[in-house]
Amino acid sequence: MNELLTTLIQEVRVWPGHRHHRARIPAEATGYRELDEPLGGGWPRGALTECLLDGVGMGELQLVLPAMRRLSRRGKRVFWINPPHIPYAPALDQEDVDLNQVLVIRTNNRGDTLWTLENCLRAPVTGLVLAWPGGLASREIRRLQLAAEAGRSVCILFRDRRQASQNSPAALRLQLTPDGYLGLNIQVLKRRGGRPGQSCTLNTARRAGLAQTEASGVVQGPWTVPRE
Amino acid sequence: MLWLYLHFPHMLLDHLRRHRQSSRPLAILSGQDPRVAQACPEARALGITAGMRLKTALALAPNLDVIQTQPGQDTQVLEAQARWLYRCAAHIALRPPDGLLAEVASLQRLYGGLPGVWQTVAQALETHQLTASMALGHTPEAARLLARADQGECTADTARIRHRVTGLPLSQAGFDRTTTERLQRLGLTRLGEVLALPPAELARRLSPDALSHLQKIQGTRPDPVQPWHPPHVFRQEVDFLQDIEQSQGLLFPLQRVLSELEEELRWRQQDTDSLHLSLRHRQGDDSRIHLRTAGPEHRAEAFLNLARLHLERHPLSAPVTGLRVCVRRFLARDASRGQDLFGKHSHPEEAWHTLASRLQARLGASALQRLVPRADHRPERAWAAAGALGEPHQQRPVPVLPGHRPLWLLASPYPLGEAPAAWLSGPERIRSGWWDGQPVQRDYYVVQLADGPLAWVFRDLRNDWFIHGWFG
Repeated sequence: MNELLTTLIQEVRVWPGHRHHRARIPAEATGYRELDEPLGGGWPRGALTECLLDGVGMGELQLVLPAMRRLSRRGKRVFWINPPHIPYAPALDQEDVDLNQVLVIRTNNRGDTLWTLENCLRAPVTGLVLAWPGGLASREIRRLQLAAEAGRSVCILFRDRRQASQNSPAALRLQLTPDGYLGLNIQVLKRRGGRPGQSCTLNTARRAGLAQTEASGVVQGPWTVPRE
Repeated sequence: MLWLYLHFPHMLLDHLRRHRQSSRPLAILSGQDPRVAQACPEARALGITAGMRLKTALALAPNLDVIQTQPGQDTQVLEAQARWLYRCAAHIALRPPDGLLAEVASLQRLYGGLPGVWQTVAQALETHQLTASMALGHTPEAARLLARADQGECTADTARIRHRVTGLPLSQAGFDRTTTERLQRLGLTRLGEVLALPPAELARRLSPDALSHLQKIQGTRPDPVQPWHPPHVFRQEVDFLQDIEQSQGLLFPLQRVLSELEEELRWRQQDTDSLHLSLRHRQGDDSRIHLRTAGPEHRAEAFLNLARLHLERHPLSAPVTGLRVCVRRFLARDASRGQDLFGKHSHPEEAWHTLASRLQARLGASALQRLVPRADHRPERAWAAAGALGEPHQQRPVPVLPGHRPLWLLASPYPLGEAPAAWLSGPERIRSGWWDGQPVQRDYYVVQLADGPLAWVFRDLRNDWFIHGWFG
């Protein structure tokens, strides 16, 4: 039995799991130490990231803001493709993002969106691409993944949480859910070269300029409640 | 002075044949009652000659392609030839309808002697696939006559040229028909015999025009030459023999024109950033396409890519009979900003311009926006969209806003339908705009809605509640 094992190991017929080194994907630090750990260093560069979430306003931009600030200050372009609302310039300015590097692109149909994404991803000037592409077929994500590999930029697709069950070739898939008071829970659904299932919770109170501590009911007033 | 004359016996034909892929015989017609004006070698081999009626020509060659000339077309084509000749010679003049004149005595040192000049021009003719007969003469008229008679040779020897000129038969001496007949009745057959007659006698017998023509040949009467300079626009037209119905088919002739543009721009050491392309249809207005590049550009390939993108997006509305490329805006060329000598790593700014041009060509210029903050207290007016390629806005100290602003702003405020779960901060009263007729008085709060998201809501004067932004 022992002899058999030795032969197998010597001929490298089996994969020795304990020697498995973690594949290092080049990554761009997220700016949150507690998030870098489950992501294996940060946002993967030259690969797709999917963020699956319901709606807006739960701190999803707060996640990418430190990377956006750093990349734009480094002279890299930041593309927002088909954002659901208007990226608000005074707020970005407040957050010290270089607005000269920020570009908003709106497209009319899905073909244009994919084409734009692909072109932006392949361009050497691109630092970060944020896209709200809507429904995508697995084949199309694969194509985008290849384009992302050609460039070295960070690409984050914001998609609906219903697509979590869909099979996707993206290198990193995160599920974002609001968590209690101003918290954002991030669950790693898939990570290339790492284990899925990890999760962490970030406090994103600073997005509204609030204190980080639990202090619900900071403001109370005799205001008329919105009419139904 | 030494003049070089280029005579193009069938310039229009050469011009049309350049943009043609098929090898069917071709004839050019002119006049109301169409007659063959020029015929290509394939057509001539079938027996078609100049002056033949269209019916006869079609009977001889049923698959003959025919083209009716348009007035003014030959002048345009001649100018196109002058444009490339201007690169070889400084002092040139047009001799419509089919000749170009260049002063070459001053060029001999540049090209290392007369044979150098001759060869340079001959090579250029070959590159442009033109048939022309060249001749040298000491007067413009002498050079012209020799070229038209195809008697030119590469020599500056006065006696030799004079021998050639005097040897010309009267029919090729450029007189009108009555003068030629009158001289022939006198028993003269060659130009030399006319030139040998005393001028006083000639003046008595010939019309003043004929006499001045003779004197111009000899150089005893001034023959001022109006120098031609290329206009400061690039305009190139292509006429198709057959209508083109698919945009793919346009790319081949377009590529040719664009490479000429590239050559022109390289020669001028200039760039351009806007190019007008118009497609001519048999009926209706031309389709006009305005191609803009994001930065200065001169490469044909870049323009062709933009044109291809545009044509892919906008199918042809009707078959195209011709196209015209026009460039009016020229920019001085900057030194290449490539980081290394071999251009492997292009400058980021250039890469950005390429990307922006591509995106704008497909999506339209308004699809790309930059965001600019503005000094206004009204939230919807505190930002503006700017074109993607404008000047970068000046960095100024971030104004200290009394409250925190959300990263998402709604295009128009959305009525708040539910009572918020928590009121987090507020109120921040914004009251502004009384001076320009769009007054605003709102109290802004940061609230958390029941299912988690943070919203920026306000109450207006009528006590209505709206969501104006999301803290993303």
